Amino acid sequence: MKRRDLLLASLLPTMAAFAAPARAAPHRGGTLIFARAMDSLFLDPVHTAQNADIWISLNLYDTLLQPSADGKGLQPGLAAEHSVSEDGKILTFRLRPDLKFADGSPITVRDVKWSLDRARSKEEGGEFAFLLSAIGSIETQGEDTVIINMAQSDPAILQALATFNAGVVPEKLLMAAAGDTLLEKSKSFAEKPVGSGPFVVESWRRNSEMVLKRNPYYWKEADDGQKLPYLDAIRFVIIPDDATRILKLKAGEVDVTEFVPYARVAELRNTPGITMTLFPAAQVHYFTMNNRPTLKDGTKNPLADQRVRQALNYATNKEALIQVVTHGVAKPARSYMPIATPMAYDGGPLYPYDLAKAKALLAEAGYPNGGFEVTCMALAGNADDAAKLQTLQQMWSQVGVKLKIEQLESATRLARFNATDFQMRTSLWTNDLNDPKQITSIFAYYPARQSNRTGWNDPRVNELFEQSEHEMDSEKRTAMYKEIQQRYYEAAPIIFGMDVPYPIAMSSKVHDFVQIPLGNNIFINAYKDA
Amino acid sequence: MHIVGILGRRLLQIAATVLVVAVLVFGLMRLLPGDAALVLLGERASDEAIARMRDQLGVNQPILAQFWDFLLRMVTLRFGDSVTLRVPVSSLIAERLPVTLLLTGMAAVLALLIAVPLAFWSAVRRGSWVDAAIRVFAQVSVSMPVFYIGLVLLITLAAGLRWFPVGGIGTGFLEDLYYLFLPALTLALSLSAILLRNLRESLIEVLDAEYVGFATAKGLPRGLVLRRHVLRNAWVSTVTLLGLHIGSLVGGAVITETVFAIPGIGRLMIDSIFSRDYAVVQGLTVVLAVLVSVVFLALDAVQAALDPRVGT
Repeated sequence: MKRRDLLLASLLPTMAAFAAPARAAPHRGGTLIFARAMDSLFLDPVHTAQNADIWISLNLYDTLLQPSADGKGLQPGLAAEHSVSEDGKILTFRLRPDLKFADGSPITVRDVKWSLDRARSKEEGGEFAFLLSAIGSIETQGEDTVIINMAQSDPAILQALATFNAGVVPEKLLMAAAGDTLLEKSKSFAEKPVGSGPFVVESWRRNSEMVLKRNPYYWKEADDGQKLPYLDAIRFVIIPDDATRILKLKAGEVDVTEFVPYARVAELRNTPGITMTLFPAAQVHYFTMNNRPTLKDGTKNPLADQRVRQALNYATNKEALIQVVTHGVAKPARSYMPIATPMAYDGGPLYPYDLAKAKALLAEAGYPNGGFEVTCMALAGNADDAAKLQTLQQMWSQVGVKLKIEQLESATRLARFNATDFQMRTSLWTNDLNDPKQITSIFAYYPARQSNRTGWNDPRVNELFEQSEHEMDSEKRTAMYKEIQQRYYEAAPIIFGMDVPYPIAMSSKVHDFVQIPLGNNIFINAYKDA
Repeated sequence: MHIVGILGRRLLQIAATVLVVAVLVFGLMRLLPGDAALVLLGERASDEAIARMRDQLGVNQPILAQFWDFLLRMVTLRFGDSVTLRVPVSSLIAERLPVTLLLTGMAAVLALLIAVPLAFWSAVRRGSWVDAAIRVFAQVSVSMPVFYIGLVLLITLAAGLRWFPVGGIGTGFLEDLYYLFLPALTLALSLSAILLRNLRESLIEVLDAEYVGFATAKGLPRGLVLRRHVLRNAWVSTVTLLGLHIGSLVGGAVITETVFAIPGIGRLMIDSIFSRDYAVVQGLTVVLAVLVSVVFLALDAVQAALDPRVGT
């Protein structure tokens, strides 16, 4: 194969996700072996908080609505039809007939109501209950209708109902699990859960291997009228070491490898028998800055001055960062949101590299030749962090700013960050909800988490965000978000970085596996040649 | 001294050692900044959610109360639940420990299998090119980092020649032996180099001793002299050295298990330290301290059998 053909081949699976493939009939059966960098921790959709859990949750627990394969829209899930009243206050869902959980017991409207009521409860609903907090009450009607009454209208509610924590769980099985409290029952249930999704857990040895087998009762059918999924089973093997995961793929011992280091992307693109795919991701890499006038240790913080923050943004050559860290696979940031987020405002790359502007802004702020030091926390042993910060160090030295790198392990860094005991840190964000509200509430809305611990507080942004939470008119909401993003850009509470894809390497025998921008691994249409 | 008395005294020593280790680990873990609540909930968690989780995990209690609770658990061997994996620590250890024991056991045997013949060869042919080559091998093995040896073996013997699987473990004892061969070899190489050098020195010393010259002069066959006089006398220090390195073998297992994707206690330990999973770290440390102490005890017995001069 020529190089160009290979490149094309590596794009095919992504494209196949958007258009119906005109290929030979997919092979049914077989086990897909998937090398993961990290194991899941807990498989109750409501108590799921880590990417390793979130990203496979939709395979185990189906939702009323599902994210579409490109991750931008919605498609029907357990509910065949739904309607929203004009004021957005009443949502009606009609379930498909004869739905069953993976053990063959029926999925009833009661299970749906119970699952959503648990997921939205403040006490029992876990970390993501806020996504469903605008719901006032849920009722059922007859055998197949679920009615959601909104306490306040919420423009993101349909997206929220397609998110992992809204997964439908069998009430009877969970309540029959061992334990006195609901939390204890959830714990025993999640040991070997039974759900409504296309796959079900067959066995699980923590941090070693998890086997999912196909749920024979799953409702979805392929174009030929036969039941989905195609695969008999998925075997996740946990291999923390990047190099070992790739070796396993090359040796043919696994079919798919996630988190391919960017430095290896080009090499794998040119390896026969391997398809290297960069799935578009709702993921950004950036640097968080502390915007407070004094740091925890009492020293004065130059980053409190907006002009200094802007200057450092201008002094940061994003293209160079992208080359060094991702070997060219990322794109410069155009908003604080990943550009794949709905309503992300694209006015071109932010703060294009401009040393003259950087120097002028620094001089205006009273630092004509730089002359100050900034300390940035890095994750010890993380190659990406080291590359990012060494590049930044060089770039900022051009304007006389000395960057000091402080290596910390993850838990320590998190503790310091949460206590706002930092000046700057490397950061990464992935959307969990296909809507701007989640990232905005954390990044820009001060009352939630002091604008992601930066301490930046813009009353106008806070006000706009609160309004946007109940604005059902999409155009008006988009306009509000545009203003929020522009104000955020202007104030530059962070060093804007880059939008980064998910690098997945697969055996060429594997087809139609998809990782959507939110990160969810979707196996429903995946198959493996015999 | 009476054998029961000796054993009793040694068991008391072990108990004291384990207690000291347990207290040290308890203290060190608490000195680390960060806690499991933060790690569990991640960066997006709200402050109130973190506070709620800290309550649930009991990390908000006074340190003395936590310590008392910990001591009670140790004495009754109830290690509690892992907060991240949400399963009992005892079942985690029971699941992982056999793999690590097999790995370190294989590594120790392999190290001896490599070191003893090579040391003999090199000592007997002292100064020859064979001796030089073996000493270079030892020098290289001891100076290469474990993860590097592991990757080289993986790339050449597993991914390249396909003689071995690339990491993971098997589904049964024989398959486990096959899967664990490369990681065990990785661990064994540097240890074998240490043993080799030491054994070579001891062998040379003994070979030069007067009683060996005397035995040879008496007309005893060479093989018998080497076995009965030379090896037996040189052996003692090698066994001591092997015992002393059991600890570092377990340490090396941590890295080897990560590179070779082996679900043993080494990897569990690392993961648990990073996620501040106190219960798992404490449980594991206590179990490891007991194990290492028992190995020392066994080695003392072996030494005593090899050399009656070694007292107990």
